[in-house]
Amino acid sequence: MRSYPWIGGLLLAALAPPVSVGPAAVPPAGAFVDRAAEWGLAFRYSNGATGKLYYPEIVGGGAALFDYDGDGDLDVFVVQGKVLEPGQAATHPIVPAGGRLFRNDLIAGGVRHAEPRFVDVTAASGIRADGYGMGVAVGDFDNDGRPDLYLLNFGPNQLWHNNGDGTFTEVARAAGADDPRMSLSASFADLDRDGWLDLYVADYVEFEVAGNVRCTAASSQPDYCGPTAFPPAPDRLLRNRGDGTFEDASLRSGIARARGRGMGVVAADFDGDGWPDLFVANDGGPNFLWRNRGGFTFEEVALPAGVAVDGDGRAVANMGIAAGDFDDDGDTDLFVTHLAGEGHTLWVNLGDGTFEDRTAAAGLTAPSLPSTGFGTGWIDYDNDGRLDLLAVDGAVRRLDEQARRGDPFPFAQTPQMFRNLGGGRFAEVSREMGEPFRRAGVSRGAAFGDIDNDGDTDVLVVDANGALRLLVNQVGSRRPWLGLRLVGRVPGLPGIQSHAGAERDMLGARVEVVRRGAATLWRRAATDGSYASASDPRVLVGLGEGDRVAAAVTEVRVHWPDGRAETFPPPPLGAYTTLHQGAGRPLEPSAKPAARLPAGKPLSRGTPR
Amino acid sequence: MSPRRALRLLALAAALVLPLSAAAPAAPPVEDPPVHHPDLAPLEAGVAEQLAAGRRRLSDLLAGGAAPPAALADAYGELGMLYHAYSLAEPAEACYANAARLAPADPRWEHYLGALLQEAGRLDEAAAAYQRALARAPGDVAALLHLGEIRRRQGRPDEAAAVLRQALAADPASPAAKALLGQTSLDRRDFRAAADLLEAALAQVPAADRLHYLLAQAYRGLGDGRRAAEHLARAGQVGVRPADPLLDALAALRTGERVPLARGKTAFQAGRFAEAAQQFRLALAARPASVEARIDLAACLVQLGDTAGAAAQLRAALALDPANATAHLDLGTLLAAAAPSDEARAHLAAAVEALPRDAAARRAYAHLLRESGRLEAALGEYARAVELDPADDVARLEEAETLVRLGRYRPAWERLEDGVRSLPASGLLAHGLARLLAACPDPALRDGARARDLAATVWAARPTPEHAETLALAEAELGHCAEAARWERAAIDALDSAPADRQAPLRARLAGYERGAPCRPTALTSGPP
Repeated sequence: MRSYPWIGGLLLAALAPPVSVGPAAVPPAGAFVDRAAEWGLAFRYSNGATGKLYYPEIVGGGAALFDYDGDGDLDVFVVQGKVLEPGQAATHPIVPAGGRLFRNDLIAGGVRHAEPRFVDVTAASGIRADGYGMGVAVGDFDNDGRPDLYLLNFGPNQLWHNNGDGTFTEVARAAGADDPRMSLSASFADLDRDGWLDLYVADYVEFEVAGNVRCTAASSQPDYCGPTAFPPAPDRLLRNRGDGTFEDASLRSGIARARGRGMGVVAADFDGDGWPDLFVANDGGPNFLWRNRGGFTFEEVALPAGVAVDGDGRAVANMGIAAGDFDDDGDTDLFVTHLAGEGHTLWVNLGDGTFEDRTAAAGLTAPSLPSTGFGTGWIDYDNDGRLDLLAVDGAVRRLDEQARRGDPFPFAQTPQMFRNLGGGRFAEVSREMGEPFRRAGVSRGAAFGDIDNDGDTDVLVVDANGALRLLVNQVGSRRPWLGLRLVGRVPGLPGIQSHAGAERDMLGARVEVVRRGAATLWRRAATDGSYASASDPRVLVGLGEGDRVAAAVTEVRVHWPDGRAETFPPPPLGAYTTLHQGAGRPLEPSAKPAARLPAGKPLSRGTPR
Repeated sequence: MSPRRALRLLALAAALVLPLSAAAPAAPPVEDPPVHHPDLAPLEAGVAEQLAAGRRRLSDLLAGGAAPPAALADAYGELGMLYHAYSLAEPAEACYANAARLAPADPRWEHYLGALLQEAGRLDEAAAAYQRALARAPGDVAALLHLGEIRRRQGRPDEAAAVLRQALAADPASPAAKALLGQTSLDRRDFRAAADLLEAALAQVPAADRLHYLLAQAYRGLGDGRRAAEHLARAGQVGVRPADPLLDALAALRTGERVPLARGKTAFQAGRFAEAAQQFRLALAARPASVEARIDLAACLVQLGDTAGAAAQLRAALALDPANATAHLDLGTLLAAAAPSDEARAHLAAAVEALPRDAAARRAYAHLLRESGRLEAALGEYARAVELDPADDVARLEEAETLVRLGRYRPAWERLEDGVRSLPASGLLAHGLARLLAACPDPALRDGARARDLAATVWAARPTPEHAETLALAEAELGHCAEAARWERAAIDALDSAPADRQAPLRARLAGYERGAPCRPTALTSGPP
């Protein structure tokens, strides 16, 4: 069995701050500080714009937080753009060329340093991410215990297999995952519960450089087009065969029968029937909610479920997705970012897989109206036990005021943080978040994770034509927390000895943190969601109320992706603990009856000829 | 209150103010806040000229130094409207602010400022501007409706309801007031009131199909699943816009190519092709070099039956932009529909080269090659089309039909079987497979029972003459001549008004079926017409 030396409870318990360290007041510098350059993440995502206004230029850019070398800290991969105008690559050089892999040396040689230090190891890794990079997804597709990288490109996607020795091998074509379309986001999830991660690829529009379309702003000057200028591209669903390859199941699963301009995707069991469903955010059209009917077949039910259009019935520009249980009622709610003027949308799960748009009542419409949101996530930034919302923003239509000031890429906006006040209400607290929330950028992807292992959630933000930002949380770890890594033993590739008995992150697992006299907190282990990015698979649970523990944790229940559930004793606070599937006490199947999403429209059998 | 009456009242309010302002001593021409006029160089010529003229009017007054405040206010306000019309928000806001300062009793500039700020999502400031406008023109329905909508979006449904009730009291016939109040009732979870108000709005504006979505929510809240489902099935994207004469005046200011292009596209999507063509001609008048307008006009002309005119527009578009892939594709498709020709083939080949991943272009090219008799070449293109879009059942069927024409029956059968497996909901492929199984020239591939099952399924989904005919073929293959005759008669009856040459083969087959066994169908080498 391959050792997977994630730093477990004991070491981090020793390193972590004491449980009660004082009030979680926001320091003068704000709740977040950008430490990208200081810690070695010197990188600039270039979209290759030369003035021709090619559509991919305005939507790309994502990053991944993942522990590729298994040393217990989060490493970084960030995609890179290219010059699309024929013959202009030499006159508009992009530096650095290609996506980059940065190793985090927070923990090196088994020693934990005071803070992360990133080293560009792209060359040594063998990764040649030379496509036009749009986004990235992470999952261990071959069950060898090591997370692999799926790069979403304008052009053929790449699947980089993690060899476990610091190097990667490109296997997309051999694995049947080399989607040639413009892909933005993808989700690794075990959709048929066979122990192997399947892959949903959200493809965006059919665009060709040679078929570029001339579009203008309302002022009549040239500008980037909107999505409806191009036909939607079909998404792809790849079923993992368990032999290192994927079967293109787009047709037989039913998902190829619907076309949307997919920007974000997340896999979660929205109706509580034990099978992961898929929510796809479509730009400029109705979203998809693919209800998992078992047998690798899916039914599109977004309209009857209430998530196809916003509460006013408008098909809007859906981009980034945050999926999480913000109201602690045991189901998965959705937050989706939109264009300026539309307002983002909070869809509250009614418990049966149907949703209600409660954005305005939550206080989220008004503050989100001026912004065009992309990456987003439910994070408990202050570890008070409530999931807050972060959205990173950047316009897609030129902002005349910035253009007048001479900005060469006038699309910049500032990120937003919405604090969960409880009772279904939120308040924008961006001003308290520090300088990174006052600095405008053309933000696209956002990946979430605890990059310095200090017990709070940090954020990696990719700006188009801007420096990579690492928003390091300064406040969360002042409050009590617990961290969990959820792993399970999964089948290995046949005939490969080193895979036997490997454990991998159990993406899709759900955690109930049961507390005495307080609401149970539900969290999910996932790398998907947000926009064009992959996040930390670990689960971080804030437990604070002021500077003390809000309520004692009595047990932790894990609902594994294969349908089984176990209970574990309370893990130590202020530390990450690895929970192994099979090591807990089995729980009876949930008493809660499996709810079902509403049935969609029957499929037509007509002959529209 | 009708829009026209509202406009008259606002004009009256302004007129009452103007003489007073005019009598006041001339204010020094101080600009506060300063207006940062945009660079007009990147704009369309017509738009730039229009904005420059507005700017000159203002600068002339300012240069004179003695313009009365009311005249200056109008000049600022009208320039603000021009900037606003073209979404140049920053200078528009400054212009409105100056206009409102110079004519503090005129409701127009606060109203426009409110609209501008509302569009920018600055709801608190927008609400304040509308409230100032309402203080100057109490009871203005449009301002009340906008303010009510803002309160809704601010998550203040009770305040929204109060404002919207004022609007409804002022104009009891306003469908927008009813719709917004209905939405507010939904926000407040008063589903009964929501359903009543939304039904009333929908009755007045049946085209506003987005109201069906709101009604579905209301009925879902009332526990009436049947009505919720009915409304959900009819939900669309057309809403109810509050009547606002001031904003209509703003829209009327827009000139240039962009606005008629947008209007033309809206009309086209609604099926109003003559109106769309008129708008695209306006766009061309504004910018004769507009390739987009020519391509869109061509699409309208095709719908209006003027294919020669459409082809002329597309050729003109290609003269302006020889590499335009859309123009090549549209012209090639248009020419190919008339007859396969070298010109059509050249345009479709250019489209496919420019758009190598466009499945529809690939299929159109394959179709042309097939109709030109270049079956082998067509097969390659069909295969690529299916590879690009495996859900394209038309490409799959035409590929199989091409194989049949080439006498490759087994590969055709394999393609259709694969298609039906992959796209089990495609009636087109099920029907194609049924015909092949019933009447394949290779008797070894015939399977009457399966053909009948497939044909019966597609008939149940859609009872067309073609499906009846295929059922007849299947029954005949099974030796059920009387049943075959019954289905063939059904097909002929349904084709009663069809040309004789369409009916002739059916009548011939019917005669064969009526003669009784053996009545197995003769081999078919093409699909249904």
